[in-house]
Amino acid sequence: MVVGEVAVETDVIIIGGGPGGYAAAIRLGQLGKSVVLVEKDKLGGVCLNRGCIPSKALIHTADQYQRLNDLGKMGIRLSQERTTMDLGVWQDWKAGITSQLRQGIAHLCKENGVTVVKGQAAFLSDDRIGVETDGDFETYKFEQAIIATGSRPFIPSFIKVDGEYILDSTSSLQLQEVPSSLSIIGGGYIGIELGMAFAKLGTKVTIIEMANRILPQIAENLVKEVTRNAKKLGVNIKTSTRVEKASVVDGHVHLHVSSEEQGAEVVVSEKTLVTIGRIPNTEEIGLNRAGVTVGEKGHIAVDMECRTNVPHIFAIGDTTPGPALAHRASKQGIVAAEVIGGLPSAVDSPNVPYVIFSDPQIAGVGLSREEAEQQGYSVKVGKFPFSANGRALATNETEGFAEVIVDADNHILLGMHMVGADASNLIGEGVLALELAARVEDIALIMHPHPTLTEGWMEAAEAVLGHAIHIVNK
Amino acid sequence: MMEFKLPDVGEGMHEGEIIQWLIKEGEAVKQDQPIVEVQTDKVNAELTAPAAGVVKKIFFSEGDIVEVGTTIFTIQEENDVSVPDKKMIDEEIQGVQSVDVKVNAEHITTKQHVVRALATPFVRQLAREMKVDIEKVKGSGPAGRITESDLKQFKENNSITLNAKHHDNKMAQEMALMKGAIQAKGMGNEWEERIPLKGIRKKIAEHMVKSVSTIPHVTHVDELEMDQLKEFKNQLKEYSDDKDIKLTFLPFFVKAIVIALKEFKTLNASIDEKTNEIILKNYYHIGIATNTEEGLIVPVIKHADQKTIFQLADEIRQLAAQAREGKLSIDQITGSTFTISNVGPIGGMHATPIINYPEAAILALHKMEHRMVVRDLEGVIRLMMNMSLSFDHRLIDGVTAVHFTNRIKELLENPIRLVVEMR
Repeated sequence: MVVGEVAVETDVIIIGGGPGGYAAAIRLGQLGKSVVLVEKDKLGGVCLNRGCIPSKALIHTADQYQRLNDLGKMGIRLSQERTTMDLGVWQDWKAGITSQLRQGIAHLCKENGVTVVKGQAAFLSDDRIGVETDGDFETYKFEQAIIATGSRPFIPSFIKVDGEYILDSTSSLQLQEVPSSLSIIGGGYIGIELGMAFAKLGTKVTIIEMANRILPQIAENLVKEVTRNAKKLGVNIKTSTRVEKASVVDGHVHLHVSSEEQGAEVVVSEKTLVTIGRIPNTEEIGLNRAGVTVGEKGHIAVDMECRTNVPHIFAIGDTTPGPALAHRASKQGIVAAEVIGGLPSAVDSPNVPYVIFSDPQIAGVGLSREEAEQQGYSVKVGKFPFSANGRALATNETEGFAEVIVDADNHILLGMHMVGADASNLIGEGVLALELAARVEDIALIMHPHPTLTEGWMEAAEAVLGHAIHIVNK
Repeated sequence: MMEFKLPDVGEGMHEGEIIQWLIKEGEAVKQDQPIVEVQTDKVNAELTAPAAGVVKKIFFSEGDIVEVGTTIFTIQEENDVSVPDKKMIDEEIQGVQSVDVKVNAEHITTKQHVVRALATPFVRQLAREMKVDIEKVKGSGPAGRITESDLKQFKENNSITLNAKHHDNKMAQEMALMKGAIQAKGMGNEWEERIPLKGIRKKIAEHMVKSVSTIPHVTHVDELEMDQLKEFKNQLKEYSDDKDIKLTFLPFFVKAIVIALKEFKTLNASIDEKTNEIILKNYYHIGIATNTEEGLIVPVIKHADQKTIFQLADEIRQLAAQAREGKLSIDQITGSTFTISNVGPIGGMHATPIINYPEAAILALHKMEHRMVVRDLEGVIRLMMNMSLSFDHRLIDGVTAVHFTNRIKELLENPIRLVVEMR
C-alpha cells in the first residue's frame, strides 16, 4: 500500500456487472446504499453480451430460417429464389439488441445512484479493493463486497481456442459467416442449442458427447424428442465418444475421437465448438488477501444469505456452487443486496427452473420422476402430449408433452417438466405452482385459456387424477 | 440413509412431544444408543438408534409435537458412507467432457425436497422477518402447508419456551408458566397471557371432556371414622418398620375398595358404547391418581385383590416415586378398572371427582381431621375423613352407590372385619 494513498469509500463494492452483479447494484441503490459496480468488460456480463441473449437471437433466427421450409404446406409460396443467410447482417442486428439492453442497465444503475467503474478489480485486503483502469489504479474501501465475477467456458488442456477454427461459445456467436461444417465437443445444453441452430442454418453438425446420450443432466424421457429432431436436422450425434486430440490441418479441424463401438476415427470439420462446461472466475481477484476460501472446483461456498466465510463479503451467481444460470445469479444478487440492506432475505428455494432452447424446447422445475423416487416419494405422473392440443396442431408444433410429478401421498406437486414449443415461457406456471406448494388439483381446477399450450398443464394434472379430457385415461 | 419415524410407543397414540435430543446432528451413534426422549400420552419414552451410523439430520426441536409416523431424524448407516465416494469416482471417470454434468449433479444432490417445509415464498419471507425457523413449524394448511397464523402461533409458543429454559422438564415449564401467568394477571401492561394447551395438560383436558360429556356423573359423599384404623396401623408400625415398609392408610383403602368392588360388580365395570354392552371386570386394577409436577398421573396397581397390605404399600411407594420422576411406562398407567383420588394430604371436604373414562366410578379421599361428632347422643372427638364417590349413573343407581360406600365404611371403621374378608 502506498503511503498517503486515498481510498474512495463506499458502502458496498460489487465485482462483476453481469445479471447477478447489476441486479445487486440496483437493489442496493434502492435500499439507499452507496454502491460501486466494477466491470472489466461490458455491463450485462456473459448473459447479455455473449450468452443467453445472443444465443437466443441466433436460435430465433435459425428457427425463422428453417420455418420458411415448412410454409409450403400451409399454402405459402415463396419466390423461387433461394433463401440465404447473411450472418454479418445478423451480427449487426444482434449488436443492436445487446447494446439496447446494456444502455438500459446503465440507465437503471445511474438512476439508482450506482457508480459504474470500468476496470479489473482485485481484493487488497478484507476491506479494500484495487481497480485497474487503463493503466490507472484506484483503491476503494468498502463495508461490504459482493463477488459476482461469473464463469467462463472450460477448455481442456489438449485443445486451444483460437477463435477462428476452434471456438468457444463466445466466439461461435461472433461468426460472420455460417460455417459449412461444425463439430461440437460436448452434448450439454449449449452444444445442443447452438448445434441445432447452426444445423437449421445449413451447417453440417457433428456432436461428440462422452456420456451415452445428449443432455445427460436432463431426465431421459424429456430428451428423446430432441434427439430425434436433431437427427432429422442431419445432426450427427456421437455418444460414448471421447476426444483424444484436436489439430488444424489445411484450414480444417481434425478431431481424433474414439469410442468402444466405433473405435478410433477422425472427425473433420470447418470449425469446432468446445462447450463442455464452465469454470468460475475466482482465481485472479485476490480472494486469499480477503480471506475468502475457494473450494476445489474454484467455487465459493455461501450460505442462504450468500455470505462467504468472511461475513461481510458475499458471493453470487456462477462463482458459487450450483447450476450456472443467470436467473439463479439475479436471485442471489437481490438477496445479497437485501441482506446487506438489513432485510431478512434468503435464497431458500431448491426450485431453480431450467430452460433449454433446443428444438423442441425443454423446460422444467423441481424433481424428475427418478429423483422423486430416489428421495423416497411414492410418485404419480401425469402426461399430456402436445399432439392432443388444439393450439399445437394449429401452429404445427405438435411435438412434446407436459409432465407433472406428484407426491402420491398428498398430491403436492414435486416437479413439472415440458418438452415442446414455448416450454421456456410455459414453465412459469410450474415455478409458481411449486413455489406455492400447490397440489395437482390446484392446476387441474384452474381455468386455462383456450386455445393455448397452457392447457397442456391442466390436462397433465387431470391425467394424474384419472380424468383428462382430451386423452384416454388408462 | 435410514429414516427414523416416530413409532406408536403407547396404545394408539397419535402424537408425541420431543422432550430432549440426546445426540447432535453429525454425531456417530451405536445401535440401540438412546437418541431422543419423547413424551407420549403420559410417559416419557427413550427411543434408540435402529442402526449404527451417523445422525445426518434432525427434523424437530425440543418441544415440538410430532405426529406418529413422521420422520424425526435420519441416520447414515455405517455401510452406507461409501456412496458419495462412489459418486465422486463416477464423476471423475466421466472426465472433462462432463463438466456441466457435474455442476448439475451437484445441484441436484443439494435439493432438499424431502425435508422442505411447505410454504409459499411470502410465508417464508414472513418467517425470516419473525425470526422463526420455518422448518420447525408444523403446518395446519392443506397437506401440512404452513400458513401465516401457524408462524404466529409457533412464535408465541417458542417465546414462552425460551423464557423457561432453566426448567428441566417441558411440562414443569408449562406448569410454572401457568402459575406465573396467573400471578402476573392484572399486573404490568398486559392483562392476560395465552399459553398453548398442549402436552400432558392437553391430554388431561381431552380426557376430562370425554369423560364428562359421555358419562352422566353423580357424586355421593360420606364420612368415615378413622380412629380404629389408625390404631390398627400404629400397632403394625414396629412390624412394618422391621420389614422396612412405610405403611400409610392407602393400602387399607385399596383393600377395602377391592372387597366392596367384588360385591358390587357394576362399580368395577365399563360400558362399551359401540356394542351397547356392559363389561363387568373380574380383575381389580386400581388407579391411584397422583399429583406430580407434571400434572395428574394415574399409576395402576394391577390385581390389587391378590396382594397383601405390605405388597400394596411397597408398590404404591414405588409407583409414586416413578411418577414423580416421570419414569412410568405406558403399561404402568393404563388399564385401571377403578380409580382412587387421594386428595386428603392437600386438604378439602368434598369434591365432585371426574371418572377416569371409561371406568364406572372414582373415589376421592379427603382430609383426615379431628372433628366433633355425636355418638350415643354425646358429642365426642373422632378422627374423621370424608370420601366422595362419583359414579356412572347409567350403570349404577344411587342406592347401589350408597351400599358400596357403606361397605367400605364398614370395613375401614372396623379393621378386624377388613382382615377377615381379605384373601
